[in-house]
Amino acid sequence: MTNNSKAEAGIYKETLIRGLWRENPVFRLLLGMCPTLAVTIAVKPALTMGLSVVFVLVCSNIVVSLIRNLLKPHLRILMFTVTIATFVTIADLFLKAFVPEMSARLGPYVPLIIVNCIIICRAETCASKNSLGISIIDALGMGAGFTVTLCVLASIREILSTGAIFEIPILNLQSQGGWFVPWAAMSMPVGAFITLGLMLGLVNAVTKKQAKG
Amino acid sequence: MFKIKHFIQQSWLLIVVSFFFGLLIAAANAAWQDKIQQNEEGKFETIARELLTEAVSFETAIEKAEVQSAKGKKINIDIKKAIAADRKCVGWAFSCEGSGFADKIKIVLTVDAGLEKIMGFGVLLSNETPGFGDQIKLPYYRNQFLGVPAEQLKLAKTGNSKVIDSEIVAISGATVSSEAVVKIINHYVEQVKKQLQNKGLVTNDK
Repeated sequence: MTNNSKAEAGIYKETLIRGLWRENPVFRLLLGMCPTLAVTIAVKPALTMGLSVVFVLVCSNIVVSLIRNLLKPHLRILMFTVTIATFVTIADLFLKAFVPEMSARLGPYVPLIIVNCIIICRAETCASKNSLGISIIDALGMGAGFTVTLCVLASIREILSTGAIFEIPILNLQSQGGWFVPWAAMSMPVGAFITLGLMLGLVNAVTKKQAKG
Repeated sequence: MFKIKHFIQQSWLLIVVSFFFGLLIAAANAAWQDKIQQNEEGKFETIARELLTEAVSFETAIEKAEVQSAKGKKINIDIKKAIAADRKCVGWAFSCEGSGFADKIKIVLTVDAGLEKIMGFGVLLSNETPGFGDQIKLPYYRNQFLGVPAEQLKLAKTGNSKVIDSEIVAISGATVSSEAVVKIINHYVEQVKKQLQNKGLVTNDK
């Protein structure tokens, strides 16, 4: 492997990992808070939302990267919005056709991906300035970071509110002769805020410890 | 001339990209529309079966019946006849729609065989505000409609929601969505009644 290709592979790896931890969209950049709080009631809708965002992010980054040299600075936000809206519409139609229950469960939050700051942020800061390869890797990294974060939050909330994960019971509920009393608050917005707040605190503590070390 | 040239220079990319994106959405829509339609029909029947428990099947009584939406737009709906095991008609089911607070609300409305009572409604499509307007899907609001007379319903801001009469108690914090459902029902029941009477499927005295 030549030095150039080694350096390129290093950049790709760094770009991919960046979205998962150092620039995690939810925990580090605090972007996409609306779906983070709204759809993390259970893992299935959180995963569906995450995968929809990955699809839109990858497609919009590809288009923006391909047309980056033709973009007029004052029209770029308009171009990004048109691009994102197109892929969100396609994702919405796909969910309605093939996963109708999940589409109904997510309700307005799928069309609301259009205004998700993560996507426009990556189009502006990465895809409009970088090559196609870097833009795709960045979209995958950021999308994976967003999806994993949503699933972690949703897992905590689903377990504590229903004693199940992926709708598969894992804790013995008191109503069925077991010991676990479901925390109703975890299925409400208050549960989303508390879980997110605690997770943010934990991530900050880990980051500070890493910086000291 | 200069203005047109300047406009094209500035916006040609947006025009070209919008054209291709339009084609892309049209292709996706054409490919999946049938599947989406099937899913909607399946959902319609599931909701209608939940509301008209005696029904074992649904037959289209009037296909593409022309009704006017609240905004005066002409739309076509299928009016379905609910058939019990003994082949008797146990009610009618049809979809209706109107403007809600955030977006269009689409519901399945069921009435009894004589069009005298509303047998309930179920939500087919609603993008109302989560936690507020989307409570129109919850039983405590929907149950108010079970068995109410199929006549003009009224919305009340306060009252006892457990009393079954033509006064529907609004959801606190979601008056617009509550009112939208009442308006949709009032608007459609009257028109469907006329359609069925004109076709001789329901007698006028009922």
